[in-house]
Amino acid sequence: MASLILSPAEQDYIIRGVESGFRADGRSSLDRREVTLRTGMISQANGSARCRIGNLGVGTDVLVGIKAEVNAWTPGDGVPESSGVLICNVECSPSAAQEFEGRGAEELNVELTQLLDRIFNGPQSGIDFEKLCIIPKQAYWVLHVDALVLDVRGGITDALVWATRAALLSTRLPRVVVESIPDDNGVMQAEFDVVDDPDDLTELDGVENMPIAVTFSRIGRRFVVDASEQEEAVAQARMTVAVSPKMDICAVQKGGVLRGFMPTLFSEVLQTAQTIAREEFSRFEKCYAEAKSQALSQIDEPSTGSTFLVPF
Amino acid sequence: MSRQELLSPEGLRVDGRRANELRRISCRASVLSSADGSAYYEQGNTKVLVAVYGPREPRAKAQFNHDEAIVNVEFNVAPFSTSERRKRSKGDKRLLEISSFVKQTFEGAIQRSVYPRSQIDIYIHLLQHDGGTLETCINAATLALVDAGVAMADYVCACTAGSIDDTPVLDLNGVEESSIETPDLTVAILPRTGNIALLQMESKLHTSKLEDVMDLAVEGCKHIHKKLDDAVLNAANDLASKLGR
Repeated sequence: MASLILSPAEQDYIIRGVESGFRADGRSSLDRREVTLRTGMISQANGSARCRIGNLGVGTDVLVGIKAEVNAWTPGDGVPESSGVLICNVECSPSAAQEFEGRGAEELNVELTQLLDRIFNGPQSGIDFEKLCIIPKQAYWVLHVDALVLDVRGGITDALVWATRAALLSTRLPRVVVESIPDDNGVMQAEFDVVDDPDDLTELDGVENMPIAVTFSRIGRRFVVDASEQEEAVAQARMTVAVSPKMDICAVQKGGVLRGFMPTLFSEVLQTAQTIAREEFSRFEKCYAEAKSQALSQIDEPSTGSTFLVPF
Repeated sequence: MSRQELLSPEGLRVDGRRANELRRISCRASVLSSADGSAYYEQGNTKVLVAVYGPREPRAKAQFNHDEAIVNVEFNVAPFSTSERRKRSKGDKRLLEISSFVKQTFEGAIQRSVYPRSQIDIYIHLLQHDGGTLETCINAATLALVDAGVAMADYVCACTAGSIDDTPVLDLNGVEESSIETPDLTVAILPRTGNIALLQMESKLHTSKLEDVMDLAVEGCKHIHKKLDDAVLNAANDLASKLGR
């Protein structure tokens, strides 16, 4: 990422190319790169996905694991009385870039964590958080979304959102039985029991309404979607727009400090985001269905379903 | 809590293995596109991903060495790796201990004088944890270093062994490892000479038993050496076929 240094000639080539509608890798300004998606490779997690955005096996590589836990509700910790919560955590591995070593990635981790939180945590994500409440004021589910960034080749937010979306879609929670038992004074008390049966699992509610993100990079006087590593190095501003399947805009974040996004471009960006999101949703459905059939076909084999043992 | 039976009267362990059996090992080299060398290694339910970069210019100029390369190891545990989610900070003593052990082991095995004024980075990710972290990390790092083409004196193969009810057992899993009365011995050897590169033991073991447990662990190391060798050969064949040779 930041370690990439381009010569002025290279920078000029990219900027002028984008302004005339050409990109260094042959795409047009609104083309996205190839996506590879797999789900269910981490057996100890409730849901998992690996997503790579890039052509010819080289690209941004993200691994997401979802772990669900039952938490006891305590007043004053900011959790609503009758809903569950989702906690995001993004970690950039030093295998993506040397400067991420030690605490080097902390700032980027926080930025990406907050962005993911803005997109997925709240009513805008479409997830039915009230269904994640087990007993109001007593117990609720916490969904921990842990993302591990293995490689960065531009378009990191889009890859994170793709992987998180796929991981949440593949998440299965154990069923919970709630019973009312009278206590010593005859007052009904609610109690719950998590069913310990690997076949008795439920999907999350409302996950199909989750948004997808489209990131625009302003280069010169124009913008491109799904910028490559080189393009990100010369981009003057970055804008991530999250769009729901109903074409509502769920989150907008402008990043990159070099220069601003012109207001004239902004309305164009929002409109383009919706058209691209529509295409991205159908592309996601296709990739996800493929990933799901792959995951199913692996059940019979002794293979652990890891994406690292087979070509990915 | 009653003591869990780790070895049944029939001589079977909690996961159905016999005392001298290793868990299933699957590994593959060259799994990441950006790293100079990388490997994925799983032994039973313990899964490790390693990326190796280098030899390259040291990042901190102050610590470089004029006559040999420095080895830098970073160990990272994914929050979803254990059955209960746990996020570990970068300063966790357990993690630092493991990265320091891996570093010491490979400082001896890598021919560092071949690469003066440079740095070799080994980044380890523990994706799933079920006992034997150190052994899997060392085996995976060996494979990744070979994949990166780093000059080494030999492979470094590691294996654990313990003793349950006076029977030496090979390759402890998470349940066996967490039981306090099971001694847990990790050995790493250089298979060609048989020299011991690393030796670590937890809990207590009678002196008369130590030799048997050691022998068993070394036997395990030799088996793992074969597995790693196969993985290297596979990666080389794969590359050769891609080059059309």
